[in-house]
Amino acid sequence: MIDFEDYLKMIIDLASEKGASYAEARFQEDAFESTLLKNGIPEVTSFDTKRGISIRVIVDGALGFGATNRMNKNDIRNLVAKVVSSAKEASRMRESKIRFEEGATGKERFEIKPRIKFESVSTESRIELLREADTAAIEAARSIGINLPGRYISLDTAITTKIIITSDGADVRSSIPRVSIDSILTAFDPQKGYAQRTISLGESSGWEAVERWDLPVRLRNESTSLGQTLLNAESFESGRYDVVLGPEVVGIVSHESAGHPAEADRILGRESAQAGETYLTKESVGIKVGSEVINVVDDPTIPHSFGYYLYDDEGVRARRRYLIKNGRIHEFLHNRETAHEFGTESNASSRSVSYDREPIVRMSNTFVEPGEYSFEELIEGISNGIYIKNFMEWNIDDRRYNQKYVGLEAYKIENGTLAKRIRNPVIEITTPSLWSAVDAVGKDLEFSAATCGKGDPMQGIPVWTGGPHLRLRGIFVGGSA
Amino acid sequence: MRDEDICQFVLDLCRNEGATDASVMVMENEEKMIRFSNNQITVIKDLDETSASIFVQIKERKVGINVYDLSRRKLKAAVKRAVETAAKSQPGDIYAPLPKGPFKYDDRLMNQREILLDSEELVGSVQEAVDAALKEGGKRIAGSLIGRNVQVTIMTSGDVFARTKKSTLELSVRAFVNEHASGHSLSIASKPEDFDPKSAGAEAGTLAKLSSNPVQGTPGKFTAILGPMVFADLANQIGRFASAFYVDAGISFLGDKIGEKIASEVVSISDDPSAAGTYGAFPFDAEGLPTKRTPILEKGVLKNYLHNSTTAKKFNTESTANAGLIVPHPFNLIVEPCNSSVEKMINSIDDGLYLTNNWYLRYQNYKTGDFSTIPRDAMFLIRKGEIERAVRELRISDNILRILKNVKELSRERKWVKWWEVDVPTLTPAVLVEQVNFTKSTN
Repeated sequence: MIDFEDYLKMIIDLASEKGASYAEARFQEDAFESTLLKNGIPEVTSFDTKRGISIRVIVDGALGFGATNRMNKNDIRNLVAKVVSSAKEASRMRESKIRFEEGATGKERFEIKPRIKFESVSTESRIELLREADTAAIEAARSIGINLPGRYISLDTAITTKIIITSDGADVRSSIPRVSIDSILTAFDPQKGYAQRTISLGESSGWEAVERWDLPVRLRNESTSLGQTLLNAESFESGRYDVVLGPEVVGIVSHESAGHPAEADRILGRESAQAGETYLTKESVGIKVGSEVINVVDDPTIPHSFGYYLYDDEGVRARRRYLIKNGRIHEFLHNRETAHEFGTESNASSRSVSYDREPIVRMSNTFVEPGEYSFEELIEGISNGIYIKNFMEWNIDDRRYNQKYVGLEAYKIENGTLAKRIRNPVIEITTPSLWSAVDAVGKDLEFSAATCGKGDPMQGIPVWTGGPHLRLRGIFVGGSA
Repeated sequence: MRDEDICQFVLDLCRNEGATDASVMVMENEEKMIRFSNNQITVIKDLDETSASIFVQIKERKVGINVYDLSRRKLKAAVKRAVETAAKSQPGDIYAPLPKGPFKYDDRLMNQREILLDSEELVGSVQEAVDAALKEGGKRIAGSLIGRNVQVTIMTSGDVFARTKKSTLELSVRAFVNEHASGHSLSIASKPEDFDPKSAGAEAGTLAKLSSNPVQGTPGKFTAILGPMVFADLANQIGRFASAFYVDAGISFLGDKIGEKIASEVVSISDDPSAAGTYGAFPFDAEGLPTKRTPILEKGVLKNYLHNSTTAKKFNTESTANAGLIVPHPFNLIVEPCNSSVEKMINSIDDGLYLTNNWYLRYQNYKTGDFSTIPRDAMFLIRKGEIERAVRELRISDNILRILKNVKELSRERKWVKWWEVDVPTLTPAVLVEQVNFTKSTN
């Protein structure tokens, strides 16, 4: 590690000598192991150790970024010269000068120590676990009389090591293990056709997370539920209903309809041509976008969360951010550049997925804060409603205003109790209408893992999405085939 | 070490450790990207990378490793780990040896002229695009420009050895008149003389201006013209899910449909990395096989899945030279044109929509092809053969196979599309589709 630190210091010195008013150097190594089981057959095991150095500079008010995995002094010197020169050239097309907010950066080391190290679990054991889960899913499906012709299960472990230093004093080192499982189950019945369930689990933990997940039991339950949905879900009449959303649905809503709109770089238009903009503006803090019971937070500091970190990739200490508080826009997600533009402090939202990607404004773990209601209390007051436990298709426009969520496991609620399963309920609604319809918040809290896509080139970054059950009054639910 | 020395070193190690098959691909990537928004450059990026992808088989057992530290010590450790892991792994169901070379590759696809990634010149191109968009009425212009020089060297245990250089330029530009009125355009090229930032900027600006003051669209089933950027996204879905890997995994709407007429007979889509001088042209696949044109849809009939050696053996056919060592993939999609034009299509529609771009395509079910996607940028209402006005806030909620069956016309003129939403370079006309289902939010 000593060599890399020397390189990082050399980068800062060289960039400063060449005229950079700000310089940042990062070493990052991501060591992955991936195992894939397709329809019960081991497809491939892959190892990927991605490591290299990045540099970011401000020169004449323009931002330059560069990266290389060629770890020798000459190549690194050449890269620094190139990045500074490119930024100088880019400054020709800058009317306003980019500056970083001068908030507190840290000198810190943080890590998660796995209780069970990944290297102690052999590839054979990993495949065996996936096979056991695959068998459990098939048997569960068979027991209710359906087939599972498509079964795709991948298991990924990763250890991310970073050293970040900046010309204004940040020095942050971290080591985070992450593990995730992604699965797609496709159920088939000759009369009913196909139904499909996507499952994502992820934590910043060692192998102990996998043991806790108990994958065979989880896939058996998912398979059973999927089969029952395929066999028994009935069509229903479109119309206005009181609706209870499960934590998985609330999670994706929190991410898409509260998290993305609050990204300050979108507000400034930096993602206009790619991931899009937002319906919010610089002046939106304080505006009402939902009912008073809604509080949406983004919090990277939750121990073992998939989006965990204590310092961001600009060396700023992380904290919980309230995006929506009591139904009003409370705070945006900022890096040091957007914070300066907004006249505020960075709240440590700057993340990069690998050494060769620039750090940009990202979410971490975005969720609705729990309230006071039990699930039973949420549904007991509903005479004719719908409970959507989980979802399949979703999307949202690039201003984060019009969204669609299609439920998978869903039920009618009749006179305060769950009734028959229903097929493919569709919610297509605007963001303020969705948040404003909530009148009660459950006291439970569950998270799902996800990989959030943003940036150019695309950066898929680990996050949690989550929340409690929510009750929404009188929203339109469409039925699809 | 030179790239070919790295390949030989790794290949020898793999053989000595006991691999039955091995391949090594060394990639050198020099890239410059300029991102811009609000008519200014937001960041300029330089990447210099060299990495190696190593693939090891011991009969049915497969392991892949990507290495970014190319020192002998690290390469040796990586190979040892790969072979040991393969030896201990449970076997897959198919053993297909890597193809036996050496092969002859198309000279026209090898060693393209390198593009000079000069910051001054590329910033100038961005300025040109922004100025053109502003001139046509855009107010805020955003986008990205990527210049790339790649050198790929491959060596396999099948006596394959090849090296090629490839260069590309890619501009994506989006112009805004206001938050609800925007236009998007592209210029992508494999040589500088085909690169036209000015025209791309002008088109984005023109579309933005034309889409000013849009009204809320009405949901329902309409005849729709899907511009090249929209149909390229759908063609990408066809290309992606034509991969035999996804068919075999049971997650492709094209599964079990070879020989079936699944689209209107005017729809023909092929993958053609052998189309010299085009953006996605490439001489060999990841197993070293010379690439070739593979029809996917021919006059509406599903003709082929895309294969590597392993999936080909499983499907009892020949490789289409689309490896991906695990997942076969398209390189360069080509949609055949017809004789229509966007103007003729507009004239033929009494009540319909013209979409110039879309975004965020998600499936309800990969097996059935039920999906939705969101039209973005300029979208127009067509009434009695003319564009009546701009509309906004609609969603296509439909089924991809149903859309393919409802295609009625394709334009003669085609455009190359590749951008943030469309991964695989695609040459496509505009397409007229009947009965496209549009939905919208209900508050």
